[in-house]
Amino acid sequence: MEREALKAQLKTQIIQFLNLMQVKPEDIRDDEPLFGEGLGLDSIDSIELIVLLNREYGIDIKDPKEGRKVLVDVNTMADYIEAHRTK
Amino acid sequence: MSRIFVTGLGIITAVGHSVEANRDSLSKEISGITKAQFLSTKYTASLPFGEVKISTDELKNKLNACEKGVTRTSLLALHALAEAISSSKLNTDELRAQETALIGADTVGGMCLTDELHHDANTREQGSEYLASYDCGSVTLYLQSKYDIKGISNTINTACSSSANAIMYGARLIHHGLAKRAIVGGCDSLAKFTVNGFNALHILSDEPCRPFDENRKGLNLGEGAAFLVLEREEDITNKHVYAELSGYCNSNDAFHPSSLSENGDGPFLAMKGALESAKLSNGEIDYINAHGTGTENNDEVESRAMMRLFGDVPLFASTKAYTGHTLGAAGAVEAVYSILSLVHGEVYPGINFEKAIPSTGLKPVTAYQKKKLYHVMSNSFGFGGNCSSLIFSRV
Amino acid sequence: MFYFHHINCISPQKTFSEIDLEHINTPVGDKLLSVEPAYEGIPLNILRRMGKAVRMGVGAALKITRQNPDGIIIGTANGGMEDCIKFLNQVIDYNEGMLTPTNFVQSTTNAIASQIGLMSANKGYNCTHVHRGLAFENALLDTAMLLRENHGHQYLLGGIDEISAYNYNIEFLEGCFKKEKITGIDLYKTNTAGTIAGEGSVMFLANNNPAGASGKLIALRMLHCYDENDVAEELKKFIRSHFPVSEQPDVFFSGENGDNRLQKYYDACEQAFNKETAVVHFKHVSGEYATVSAFAAWLACHVLQTQKLPMHFLKYAHSKNHFKNILVYNNYRGLQHSFMLISAS
Repeated sequence: MEREALKAQLKTQIIQFLNLMQVKPEDIRDDEPLFGEGLGLDSIDSIELIVLLNREYGIDIKDPKEGRKVLVDVNTMADYIEAHRTK
Repeated sequence: MSRIFVTGLGIITAVGHSVEANRDSLSKEISGITKAQFLSTKYTASLPFGEVKISTDELKNKLNACEKGVTRTSLLALHALAEAISSSKLNTDELRAQETALIGADTVGGMCLTDELHHDANTREQGSEYLASYDCGSVTLYLQSKYDIKGISNTINTACSSSANAIMYGARLIHHGLAKRAIVGGCDSLAKFTVNGFNALHILSDEPCRPFDENRKGLNLGEGAAFLVLEREEDITNKHVYAELSGYCNSNDAFHPSSLSENGDGPFLAMKGALESAKLSNGEIDYINAHGTGTENNDEVESRAMMRLFGDVPLFASTKAYTGHTLGAAGAVEAVYSILSLVHGEVYPGINFEKAIPSTGLKPVTAYQKKKLYHVMSNSFGFGGNCSSLIFSRV
Repeated sequence: MFYFHHINCISPQKTFSEIDLEHINTPVGDKLLSVEPAYEGIPLNILRRMGKAVRMGVGAALKITRQNPDGIIIGTANGGMEDCIKFLNQVIDYNEGMLTPTNFVQSTTNAIASQIGLMSANKGYNCTHVHRGLAFENALLDTAMLLRENHGHQYLLGGIDEISAYNYNIEFLEGCFKKEKITGIDLYKTNTAGTIAGEGSVMFLANNNPAGASGKLIALRMLHCYDENDVAEELKKFIRSHFPVSEQPDVFFSGENGDNRLQKYYDACEQAFNKETAVVHFKHVSGEYATVSAFAAWLACHVLQTQKLPMHFLKYAHSKNHFKNILVYNNYRGLQHSFMLISAS
């Protein structure tokens, strides 16, 4: 899948998975931090995103701490998906 | 205000089906954390559990409790309740009196029956026999009906501190003259639902848990039940008294739904409040039965809170490496253990401990020892920031 | 016992920001679903995780938390059940594979009290009572004890339960609901089994201060009993212990719910009153659920404050035009019974 399309799809999935209210895909910048400032997600969200990566892309991240290195922003997530997806 | 004494104890856990059996295991450092035999979940292959070593059918037969809709949670509760009532020598009239309160606690209720619940919640076909057995209140209602208890009854769910709060509520009913005696405690059974929930939070360990150890990996889920009989000092004649419930406090960490704050305000305030209510100074606590689940978050925060409050932390240990984390039962189970420590003048070691958490350097008791104890604190800190602390004193 | 202040009620009727009990909403099928407000006070980041029970609980509690209560006491029989089953469905659907934890964390019955505590940074006493049909009554009792222990304190107290798809299904299979269509007070005329499902979230600020109070809880009694005559006897004792021999409560709130299996309790209790007492039924506007007594307490305070009692509430025509006190009788499934005596402050 082409990278821009992947990022667009990923943003929609993040919004749906985390039930982000009144947030549209175009509101999320590719380099906007997911945690802390930016989107302001927390530790439970990081676990939820790991599940998203597993269900949608067949990626298995066992340790949530490892996961946080991948879940920096949409760019890093897209990089990881492109490198590791099995679906 | 009347002094509240404990006149009855009953317990069933992974390390024994009676008070005596539990004490024996604790004294000999025998853990009940094993591969589960009866629990139905794919995680029995990879995770150890503190399973009570008796099947649900055997429990039904042993207790003569084969009513439609009875759940494992209710059976464990009934087992422990029967022992508590017997040890307190309460007769039928006393049990049925309006002045006898029954305060239970649990978090699982009938949700241990995952497949039946899934069916009953989702389909319109014939419902199972458990339709009225899923909620937490169903367990206490079952116990009430078994013993025809007519006084004030209640069920509390504050996650891991549930039965500590049940003990507190019962004591307060007595203080306020709303009950003369209160049978208080809690229970929970292992459930596929809870196993998956805790697993989704990545806080289960695939090895026996190591409370307060630097290399702890998480908690082991357990199951069990424990009940205490509380009575006013002036009402007790010719009866064995185990200990006094001398202090208690409930406070909230108000930080995060499933983890404690770095400062541990909730645990700190609960412990401090319990000391104040018991009119004891820090230095008078001889031993703490810690919450000590073996998770990274709890053990570090709890340690810091103890250091913050006590400075020089008393002897402490967690008994969860014996029983696993029994959730709704934990407060009551560990209250029984605290009382046994007082009665027998002994300290049960925290097992599976090797190296202290670097940031605290705190070491739990690691060997069984005989020691005369006067005041023991028992702590329970749960999801939702619900923190409770109880103090039992020697009589 | 104590005084009710700052009451908020989310219910199937217009009871939250404006109150209109003249024009009532009727059941959709056999359900009276809550009219939920916009929840402006709940940040979206937190709202997104909340199931209905938690958001109704938090929504009704938020303004009250600005009064800085010293603790939070909630009664709920099934709070969080919706999230519980959502998580359970994940467990089954994904065969215990990788699961998202939010539903599990939100599914515990103490999620409501803890979320309120979290959002208001309230580190005081926090407890959730879950004893089914007496969950709210135990929350009342807990609060009463706390206010005796700490006279100058105040507490957030509430009762909440939701109709979740799953809860409803379980109760449907138990035969709890009417098969015929109900549009309002015809609920009480059916002589068939079952009632209509309801939900609601009622939150109060409770303290010992009469000034500005919406009402006063004078007394509370809880019973576990299947015999309607025993219940009626206890009610008579309750009345005698709070009223002089020649007096009776001004109003009797009957929790009758149209289920003919339970009518005997309400009929027996009605016998305790003479013609001077107005008889009110309310479950045609609230529906039936385990903590509906919280709605009844709210309604009692509202009637005592406004001195208005719309006609559809009255079981019999009555000319009473001044209400000083209200006795509420409710039972859940014919086993758990409660009497609450509420007066003007």
